Amino acid sequence: MNQPVAQKLFFWILIVISIITLSAPTLVVLGASLTSGNIIVFPPDGLSLKWYKALVEKQELQDAFIRSIWVAIICVLISLPAGTLAGIALVKYRLRKGALIQTYLLLPFTIPLIGSGIGLMLVFGEVGILGSLWPVGVATAVINLPFMIWAVSSSATGLDPDLELAAQSCGAGPVQTFFYVTLPSVMPGIITGSLLMFILSLNEFLVSLLLVDARIVTLPVQVYNSIRSIITPDLAAVSVVFIAVAMLAIAILDKIVGLEIFLKSK
Amino acid sequence: MDILEAAFSKIWPKKGGFWGPYLMLSPAILLVGLLVLGLAYIGDTSLRTLDTSTFLFSEEWSLANYERALTEPFIRSVIWRSILGATIVTMTTLLLAFPYTYIMVRTRSAFLRKFLLIALFLPFFIGQVVRAYGWLIILGKQGIVNDILGLIGIEPLRMLFNYPSVLFGLVQYMFPFAVLMLAPALTAIPEEIEAAAESLGASWQETMLYVILPMAKSGLIGAGLVVLTLSLTDFAMPAILGGGTQDFVANAIYDQFFRTSDQGFGSSLAVLLIAIGSLLVWIIFMLVGAGTLALGAKDK
Repeated sequence: MNQPVAQKLFFWILIVISIITLSAPTLVVLGASLTSGNIIVFPPDGLSLKWYKALVEKQELQDAFIRSIWVAIICVLISLPAGTLAGIALVKYRLRKGALIQTYLLLPFTIPLIGSGIGLMLVFGEVGILGSLWPVGVATAVINLPFMIWAVSSSATGLDPDLELAAQSCGAGPVQTFFYVTLPSVMPGIITGSLLMFILSLNEFLVSLLLVDARIVTLPVQVYNSIRSIITPDLAAVSVVFIAVAMLAIAILDKIVGLEIFLKSK
Repeated sequence: MDILEAAFSKIWPKKGGFWGPYLMLSPAILLVGLLVLGLAYIGDTSLRTLDTSTFLFSEEWSLANYERALTEPFIRSVIWRSILGATIVTMTTLLLAFPYTYIMVRTRSAFLRKFLLIALFLPFFIGQVVRAYGWLIILGKQGIVNDILGLIGIEPLRMLFNYPSVLFGLVQYMFPFAVLMLAPALTAIPEEIEAAAESLGASWQETMLYVILPMAKSGLIGAGLVVLTLSLTDFAMPAILGGGTQDFVANAIYDQFFRTSDQGFGSSLAVLLIAIGSLLVWIIFMLVGAGTLALGAKDK
């Protein structure tokens, strides 16, 4: 395409601003974690890995990290079966009240997070499970569930119903058909969805903040509590953990389904 | 496997398959049901007033909390700050996200496309707290920008804990959402249309304004709605980059629950926030049509 120079210039100025704005915090956190000084200054005092070494002794940061991983695992364990079944059902069957069910299943996106978080806090408080870790996993599964359903249903639209019929005419029962035909064909969607759920749950801050107490803080809450007191480079080092996980997730996503999938028109 | 099939045919009889799909949907429906239950609790709590002498909530329902929320000047200023902020953030984000998405979709270079995608997904996957922390390091009083300014002899500027810094943080947070919602709409516009417009003598500005923007309308509306509602209800950016002086509604709700311990008043604010959000969405629907929300992807 031959774009006029003026258009190119105009677009690229905005894009460069966007790229800088998008990447600056990440790069700065990476840089700050490598400083050898005790405070974060620019230009840096020198390079060292001492803040990563310091992490090894910070028991509370490690505990918070492990708790966050737990929360993310519980989130995937719950949302994967629920979202997969729902995603397939929405695409495969002509449901009575289908539109209504879809609107209902989108509620986690339409209700503000603070509302969902407070609501779940009141519900969990009523049943007396506030203060344990697994309800946080349940909560992150609920608020992000539409992502899982969306991922599965968009890969289920490519599912050929004849394939399932063929399997059944070859003598496969419905369970066999489901596990050997239906499920493998929506596998890219399941993987994409689970990865999104894991990452979003690992990073979930507000709902976590509302549902945890001092004994079970998750890593984002821990970081939040610490930046309100003083900013030290060990916090940058622990933030790099998030960055590393994000990079890994992007690499996996790109390898398995390709990031370009998000550009596809519906 | 045979045993499984036998067990399955018991609970899902071949001919009576009507309930089957609903059975598949039931775990998801139950999970979302937790939210509905939560909303019911919020609604109930919002109608009970706190007796400040006994710290007990009233048995009877009353609208006192709502009256207070709508008349208290502090709350009113918080609500206006949130609405104004969300509007500015939405405009700015769309302005920046449109060219980004356009080039990402149109470029012939696979490398550039991948680069733009990764630059987009990395912050998206990192989470709000870490990103806000990065901005603290950059913009803080002893932050990088001030260090650089100091090198050329400029007094440190106070760039944090004000309204613009919160809005800036929100734009950065919302950007990936906007691009991901715009991308399918822009992909759907065939390139030939632009070529056609140009061969008929349209300048690039005219092509953008009269051809591409109208065709991308549904995507722009979808992106705008998501950005508007998410930034209206955000907590982390005002809390971290606003430093307690630039509270949005979500922060006010949090404070009512965890500082003042007036759950009734906090709940009434939550109900109001949901109402304001829905009202804004409804107004936009009325003004410009529903667009295609990205989640419409679910109905193929």
